[in-house]
Amino acid sequence: MTDSTTASGTFDVTLDVNGIAYPVHIEQDRNLLSVIRGEVGLTGTKEGCDDCECGACMVLLDGRPVNSCSYLAVQAQGRAITTIEGVMTGDDLHPLQQALLDEGGVQCGFCTPGMIMSAMALLADNPSPSEEQVRIGLSGNLCRCTGYTRIVAAVQRAAAVPHA
Amino acid sequence: MTATTTAITTSPPRFVRADGPDKVTGSGRYTADLSLTGVLAAKFRYANIGHARIVRLDVTAARAMPGVFAVLTADDVPDVRFGPFVQDRTLFARDVVRFEGEIVAAVAAVNAVVAQRAVDAIVVEYEPLPVINDIEAALSVESALVHPDWQSYGAADALVRDRNDASFASITKGDVGAGMAAADHIIESRYVADGCHAVPIEPRAVVAQWEGNKVTIWTTTQVPFDARAGVCETLQLPTNRVRIIVPHLGGGFGGKCGFHYEAHIAALARVAKRPVRLVFTRREEFIAPDRRRESIVFNIETGVLDDGTITARRAWLAMDNGAYTADAAFFSQLAAMHTAGPYRIPNVQVEAHLVYTNHQPSGSVRAPTAPQACWALESHTDEVAAAVGIDPVEFRRRNAVDTGAVGPSGQTYGEIGLQQCIDLAAGGAGYGQPLPDDEAIGVAIGWWPSFSVPSGAYIKIDGDGAGQIITGAQECGTGSVMTLRDLAADELGMKPEDFELVYQDTAVAPYDMGATGSQTLLNNGRAVIAAAGQVAEQLKKLAADHLEAAEADIVLADGHAYVAGTPATTVSLVELAGIAAGGQLLIGHGSSTPAEAPPLAGSSCVGDLGMAAFVAPQFSCHAVRVKLDRDTGVARVLHVSAAHDSGIIINPIGAHGQVEGAVMMGIGQALSEGTTYDDQARQRNAALLEYKLQTCADAPPILVQFVEIFTPDAGPRGAKGLAEAPNIATAAAISNALAKLIGRPVRQLPMTAERVWNTIQGDAS
Amino acid sequence: MSFVIATTIAEAVAAMASGARPIAGGTDLVVGARHGKAALPQHLVAIDRIEALLVVHDTADGVTIGSGVSHSVLESHPLLASAYSGLADASALVGSPSTRNLGTIGGNIMNASPAMDTGAPLLVLGAQVELQSMRGSRRVPLSELWTGPGRTSAAPDELCVMVHIPTPLVRSGSAYLRLEYRRAMEIAVVGAAACVVLDEDGFVVSASVALTAVAPTIIMVDGLHSLAGANVPEAAVRVGVLAAGQATPISDVRASAQYRRHTVGVMARRAVEAAARRAAGDIVAIPLNRAIGIGAAS
Ligand SMILES: Cc1cc2nc3c(=O)[nH]c(=O)nc-3n(C[C@H](O)[C@H](O)[C@H](O)COP(=O)(O)OP(=O)(O)OC[C@H]3O[C@@H](n4cnc5c(N)ncnc54)[C@H](O)[C@@H]3O)c2cc1C
Ligand code: FES
Ligand code: FES
Repeated sequence: MTDSTTASGTFDVTLDVNGIAYPVHIEQDRNLLSVIRGEVGLTGTKEGCDDCECGACMVLLDGRPVNSCSYLAVQAQGRAITTIEGVMTGDDLHPLQQALLDEGGVQCGFCTPGMIMSAMALLADNPSPSEEQVRIGLSGNLCRCTGYTRIVAAVQRAAAVPHA
Repeated sequence: MTATTTAITTSPPRFVRADGPDKVTGSGRYTADLSLTGVLAAKFRYANIGHARIVRLDVTAARAMPGVFAVLTADDVPDVRFGPFVQDRTLFARDVVRFEGEIVAAVAAVNAVVAQRAVDAIVVEYEPLPVINDIEAALSVESALVHPDWQSYGAADALVRDRNDASFASITKGDVGAGMAAADHIIESRYVADGCHAVPIEPRAVVAQWEGNKVTIWTTTQVPFDARAGVCETLQLPTNRVRIIVPHLGGGFGGKCGFHYEAHIAALARVAKRPVRLVFTRREEFIAPDRRRESIVFNIETGVLDDGTITARRAWLAMDNGAYTADAAFFSQLAAMHTAGPYRIPNVQVEAHLVYTNHQPSGSVRAPTAPQACWALESHTDEVAAAVGIDPVEFRRRNAVDTGAVGPSGQTYGEIGLQQCIDLAAGGAGYGQPLPDDEAIGVAIGWWPSFSVPSGAYIKIDGDGAGQIITGAQECGTGSVMTLRDLAADELGMKPEDFELVYQDTAVAPYDMGATGSQTLLNNGRAVIAAAGQVAEQLKKLAADHLEAAEADIVLADGHAYVAGTPATTVSLVELAGIAAGGQLLIGHGSSTPAEAPPLAGSSCVGDLGMAAFVAPQFSCHAVRVKLDRDTGVARVLHVSAAHDSGIIINPIGAHGQVEGAVMMGIGQALSEGTTYDDQARQRNAALLEYKLQTCADAPPILVQFVEIFTPDAGPRGAKGLAEAPNIATAAAISNALAKLIGRPVRQLPMTAERVWNTIQGDAS
Repeated sequence: MSFVIATTIAEAVAAMASGARPIAGGTDLVVGARHGKAALPQHLVAIDRIEALLVVHDTADGVTIGSGVSHSVLESHPLLASAYSGLADASALVGSPSTRNLGTIGGNIMNASPAMDTGAPLLVLGAQVELQSMRGSRRVPLSELWTGPGRTSAAPDELCVMVHIPTPLVRSGSAYLRLEYRRAMEIAVVGAAACVVLDEDGFVVSASVALTAVAPTIIMVDGLHSLAGANVPEAAVRVGVLAAGQATPISDVRASAQYRRHTVGVMARRAVEAAARRAAGDIVAIPLNRAIGIGAAS
């Protein structure tokens, strides 16, 4: 059991983001997104709404997709958080990143980090999804620019890359 | 005349955007990602009421709160009324609030929580005024006025205004009475479109920082130069002391056009003596900006002969201007054009009113007025075709404009591809083939002008041969700025990757109108080619000296200059750049010259803002297969076939992306996106949960085909615009499919499941 | 202010006894606070790491599901796929993949929204919840749990630990269907679940039907005993009429009362038809929303 009780309403917690431990001092009601963008200092994860509807803030928690805008940062202690900044291997783009470039799946790019995180979670569960499965897998990520066609194609292309 | 018809249906050529790596890695910075030492958070106090007189406004308590650095109201900024067409607006409400999202006060504080507390501590007392919530009622002489002082406001000379009517326009051609009298059938329809929103996924953000008497503003605008002009006008500063920088922009769709909160934040930062940052919530994004797609009421009447020839069209429309006049003043004429439609009609009389209400102001959203007008007109056109018993596609083939035809405003078209678009779209949808009884294909046609305006760019090549394109153009995601590299590279015999783009900074680049009106490639493309041409001349001169050849014989290709006919006599451009670095530097500048408006014959326009003549017009046809659950009214789009004449396509992958994205937006407008108001003129669905965008799971396959025809007054290589045109015909085509399935049209947009079901029940309201 | 991460049920109920509110996935609690619906409680106990709440197992008299089991586990769990498919139909529709990953069955039940998706199938399947506190534990049938929108008969210190669903009768099938305007990220406009038992000749032995988003809580449709002996199409039509008649929906920004009343009848009719097909041994894919009708993949 981890018991944190404070009179001031703030907590000292350590968050593991992309394999690096970040000690942060935060209020109980702080959402994970604001801590990642603020204290942790990684701004690739975006904020697009107030009601958990857009998916721009998607990160992985122990490999599973989570809308970080609507998840308490204190609750993420002890879990591995992956953001878009943790997706590349060294200088190499992840196959999903490369496929999005090749297929033209990026326009304004604001949905892109969240899309990539959802797609990573999908491919981890289901390495060769059907088109319908990709569409359901990305259904929590709104994109206003692309009409999704090229994003879906990119995920399928990446799925075809070995070890995607 | 033969058109080259390219149907790109499979993988278009690969084009990797210059900003792509920033965007897929999360390293690209958007405005809300910026942080400056000492930055404060801004929050606004909104009216939260549709129409009221401010009887008390007291910010004393808010100003006294610890951590609060600035609280501003109308008393703290210059008393300037502004507005691009009608100067009816102030930065902060003065005496009266006219819509729920009007800003009454602004706060800058150490953080957003303190700022919000200070906003809540501001005391405002209102005396309610009559709420003007209905467009048609607002036009009646008995209606209360949104702006009792409308006559005292400055306004563009061409505008025709009267009380709540902020902009009246009409297009008249021939004798509509005689045309109706000659008709075998007269079909009258009424359609009502709700307002809707652009909804870029990135909410607005503004960061402002003063150094001395100069301010730098990082902002999410689509139109940096327009934003600069707004700051200069309202804060009374000269142009050269205001610098607007746009980091990566997370979409706009017109929603981020115009001048928004840059001046509020700059004013806060000046008083606070600290940088200030504003980041909108999604709710603010819905209620506050003056860029909502306008609600429109349409009454349309068409006279037609038994053989399907249209003899006359009469239409009356009333559009929601909202509480203030943003760029919507020109919508009256534009909507009138779209309600006349791309048809050969000898007698036309269309009247359009832009009406003040207590709603959020309307403003350009992707092809303003066109999707709604196309929806109304094309739904009506299917009613007309049905009345004479002609298949809707055949009816359009007979009546739509074609090369050499005269359009409804008296413009004679050069070579255009509308007829080919109809054939391609219908063919691509399998139109005419048997379908299950709960499916149907609807077809609609649309059109849109190209906007030919001034625009500038520089090109320089440094000593190592690396190039920079320094452009005033704005990238909002469409990729049109990205495409500029290809144009420069072609001109100079270099590779696109040899160029870096410097863009979205008013202090370094020449003017451009911004990411609006699908104008970027059209105009800035020509500027870049001109600038590259100057550098090419310089390189050819250097090469001629170096190779001891005549300048006229030098060819630039593959990173080299060589003498025509003797490719072995060559020098690399890198070497030439090195030579230039020690002498005459390689610098070019270009500026595009606007094309002249095409002449109009036999028509007259009241309230003329230049929208009745379409430069390099674009045409489209969408054919959409829809499935309907008749028990519930829920409709689903199964397939979209879109064909476009947008001139020569320079970047196919980008062009496909524009059509696909715009079609999805059109499906949303058709079925699920519409703003509803309560009786106090407040939005009832200002959240993504209740304002429903289409998801990835809803998106159908979209077949995209282009009819590529060279047009002399278009942009580089004959490219017209493209970002707006594909947003126009989708909702209309869906409407026509639904009407086939139901037996009558759904007369309200969006055609929500409940409205469809009501129509099935026979309630035509 | 406190935040406790519990790893056992005992720790969780102790924290609740001293006033903490449980948080599982937080997809109602945190989203509600962010959206301004209700402030976040001062004292919270996170229950998502209690292993004992993450189980799904067969028992002698049915299936037991830990309250912390997520919708993503339920939507594809082999134990639910046949006998309890109505529940899987519901879990598979919740929000998006990330909502289903975090959102739990316990949170769905205890949040007590009249639009919740798992409620109607759990009701027709005769489910009970097991509530535990420092004072002991008790079982409450779902029909007695919900008392109004966002309200339950559980005491504030009671943790929902398990959901028990009895073994269905032979030749029974269940199904859940909701009206949605788009294929994902929806909230039920209305919904209906049915559990149908058939005789060997395919006639109805019994049916139970529950309705979503047409009353202050999920409600059961009354008067279905008269369906015994009816054939399926006739039973489905009668259920549709009864459902529409018993619904007391409101009008709001999503739909008018009149439209809700009509469409809940349609959903109920179709749920009965699908449940009957499953009772007869037909495979109807999960979720039903995407297997039939307008949401079907084309
Ligand atoms: C984008 C989005 C889409 C959604 N779509 C749907 C949908 O389609 N259908 C649907 O039904 N719901 C939907 N929801 C609501 C929500 O996801 C579900 O209700 C989910 O099952 C809640 O589970 P949770 O674990 O996240 O609950 P939490 O938010 O953790 O808790 C909800 C409430 O239950 C209490 N609680 C939680 N666990 C227990 C327990 N074991 N014992 C006692 N009390 C407990 C909490 O104190 C709180 O009051 C959606 C939510 C979001 C954000
Ligand atoms: S920011 Fe929109 S879902 Fe999190
Ligand atoms: S690329 Fe702009 S929102 Fe997806």
